[in-house]
Amino acid sequence: MTHQVNKMLTHIRILLAVLTCIALFISSGYAEETVDTGETFTAAENQEDTDIDLDDEFDEFDDEFEDTDDDGVFDPLIGYNRFMTGVNDKMYYWLLKPVARCYGFIIPGSVRRSISRCYKNLIFPIRFVNNLLQLKFKQTATESARFTINSTIGILGLFDPAKTWGGIDPCQEDFGQTLGHYGLGGGFHVVLPVLGPSNLRDMAGLAPDYYLNPVHYIGANDLGLIAIDAGEKINYISLHIDEYESLQKDAIDFYLFMRDAYEQNRRMKIKE
Amino acid sequence: MNRLLYGILFLLIMSPFAVASDTDEAEKLIKSKLEEMFAVLQKTDQTEEERNSRVIEIIEPAFDFERMAKLTLGRKHWPGLAKEKKKQFTDLFVKRLKESYLGKLNLYTNERIVYKPPIQVKTRVHVPTELISKDNVIDILYKLYKTKDKKWLIYDLEIQGVSIIKTYKTQFDQVLRSGTIDDLLAKLENPEK
Repeated sequence: MTHQVNKMLTHIRILLAVLTCIALFISSGYAEETVDTGETFTAAENQEDTDIDLDDEFDEFDDEFEDTDDDGVFDPLIGYNRFMTGVNDKMYYWLLKPVARCYGFIIPGSVRRSISRCYKNLIFPIRFVNNLLQLKFKQTATESARFTINSTIGILGLFDPAKTWGGIDPCQEDFGQTLGHYGLGGGFHVVLPVLGPSNLRDMAGLAPDYYLNPVHYIGANDLGLIAIDAGEKINYISLHIDEYESLQKDAIDFYLFMRDAYEQNRRMKIKE
Repeated sequence: MNRLLYGILFLLIMSPFAVASDTDEAEKLIKSKLEEMFAVLQKTDQTEEERNSRVIEIIEPAFDFERMAKLTLGRKHWPGLAKEKKKQFTDLFVKRLKESYLGKLNLYTNERIVYKPPIQVKTRVHVPTELISKDNVIDILYKLYKTKDKKWLIYDLEIQGVSIIKTYKTQFDQVLRSGTIDDLLAKLENPEK
């Protein structure tokens, strides 16, 4: 009898010990969680307990989207910008799109994709220099490796074996991003003829990137250079046909949509 | 007696492992929804309408469309609206969101999705993914929150860094600054004008 009682006691002791361990384990876990996510976490948890009205909770979400009340984008040129968006739109529908369609009808997609890859490979100096300027050494090395592999095995960049076989993704950087990386804000928004949405900072980046683009050193005259840039644009549009239209269909105010999308996209690229 | 004790012990020891973390739960939801959707997209024996209704069936429970409608009007415009206008706006906005989502399906074929580690942002979770096509990579970020009944729902999407809520919010704000809610409802109803 006493033997059995003793045995029971040992079991209870073990149980108590394990329970203490679990309690410690759980409490330490919670402590970590609270430290990790900061005060807002606990505050929100409390809110949930007290079951408050939905509209109050809404405030917490709304904060995330507060910076869009127009002070997010500085736009003193809005009149001109809207006008230029309209001009670019007409140019797209009346000129660029029909030309790109014809071109896409004649030249097979695989060839057009190769042309696009070749051009991207050729403008490697833009990515190389801008990665370097932002002291992104790993990405600079990646870009150099990609350029070497794709220019040789990839036959002058017509193919992208670095990505398809090696899984090495390109590290897109331009001078506008470099300026942004060092804290320069976008300045006001500007819609450029043909090129579309831009801002003061990214416009300032156009010239350095132009001079870093080897295509502009092939010795062709001005007309030849324009032809190359135009050709590249047509090639690009032919590969992305209907994307512009799809964006336009979603928008209530197409200019505002394009402006916001451009600025948000640039902000993300700079942060990366 | 012994068995019971060990049973309780076992349960006690295992229970901490049964509770998945927030980020895991949110990621699991996104993964299962996208897998289901891609399975539908890869089917060839269906009309576009059939495909669309199947896709909507899959994604609808994962989105909090009402909250999205509310967020796009924001604190500035939403609280002042009459109840029936709120409802009208929500219905039109949700319809439009779905249409634009379905419209995008025609643009893409044979994509692959790569999941990146989810990020806990305050009480919410962001699940970053990459949609990889032939020679394009598109970043899509799913933003989720946990409802009171512990379900995870999507309240915003960021495509290439562009937030759906933010872009709609700017546009709606512009319309409401120079017009009334009826102007906005009219524009939502007839997108061509």
